[in-house]
Amino acid sequence: MEYNFIGLASAAATFLGVWLGHVSVRKIEREVEHVWIPATIALALGITLEFASLQAESLVVAAFCGILGITLLWDALELGVRQPRRIIKGHAPANPKNPRHARMLAAYPEATTVDLLERDPRGVPYSEEELFVLKGKK
Amino acid sequence: MDWFGILVGVSTLCIIGMGFGWVIRGERYFGYLWWPYTMGIGILLMVLSVFVANEYASALLGAAGASLLWGSTELKEQAVRGELGWYPFHARKIEPPFAKIIKKWKAPSL
Repeated sequence: MEYNFIGLASAAATFLGVWLGHVSVRKIEREVEHVWIPATIALALGITLEFASLQAESLVVAAFCGILGITLLWDALELGVRQPRRIIKGHAPANPKNPRHARMLAAYPEATTVDLLERDPRGVPYSEEELFVLKGKK
Repeated sequence: MDWFGILVGVSTLCIIGMGFGWVIRGERYFGYLWWPYTMGIGILLMVLSVFVANEYASALLGAAGASLLWGSTELKEQAVRGELGWYPFHARKIEPPFAKIIKKWKAPSL
């Protein structure tokens, strides 16, 4: 029986792409003031990997590059648009040392420096009062 | 020029997108304690992909497995998101077999 390693390469690229994207988008967006710079780099890397997948002779390499490239293209969107929206809504913690985040904290009352997801589920929804306390606003 | 990689990449993006959907709805109605089961199914799909001869099927099976594996690490955070009111909260969840044992384990979160 012959083994097919395309599936494993795809799995590795998918997990790596989602994991790296998830962690690095949060970290980079938090630290960088001009977010268009890393977003453009992610866009360029994504396009490069897609071209590499077109040229690859091995299907394993093609799948790996194709998947990693497309997740990088998505990361560019996350960096430039979706993560800043989470900061504005208070769904991700703002970094007061980052001038862009400091402006968001000043302009949007929902924005917070607290990471509200850093807790275990308790099985019961939080009340409005509890949310104010969690955000350090009361 | 072979479009295999790009087609697999676009399909994988759709699979990842569906992953967001099942994590949100799955957690709402079943709860985060199902994470060992989704993790197990994810690993199983990745192992199965090695034995599938068709390149597209193998690639998509592997990607689906990895997406399930990732989703299992997202369930705990999604449960908190529901409790914080960012998503609809459903109190009566369908607990998995061995829920009492799973509660003692630390749910993965990356």
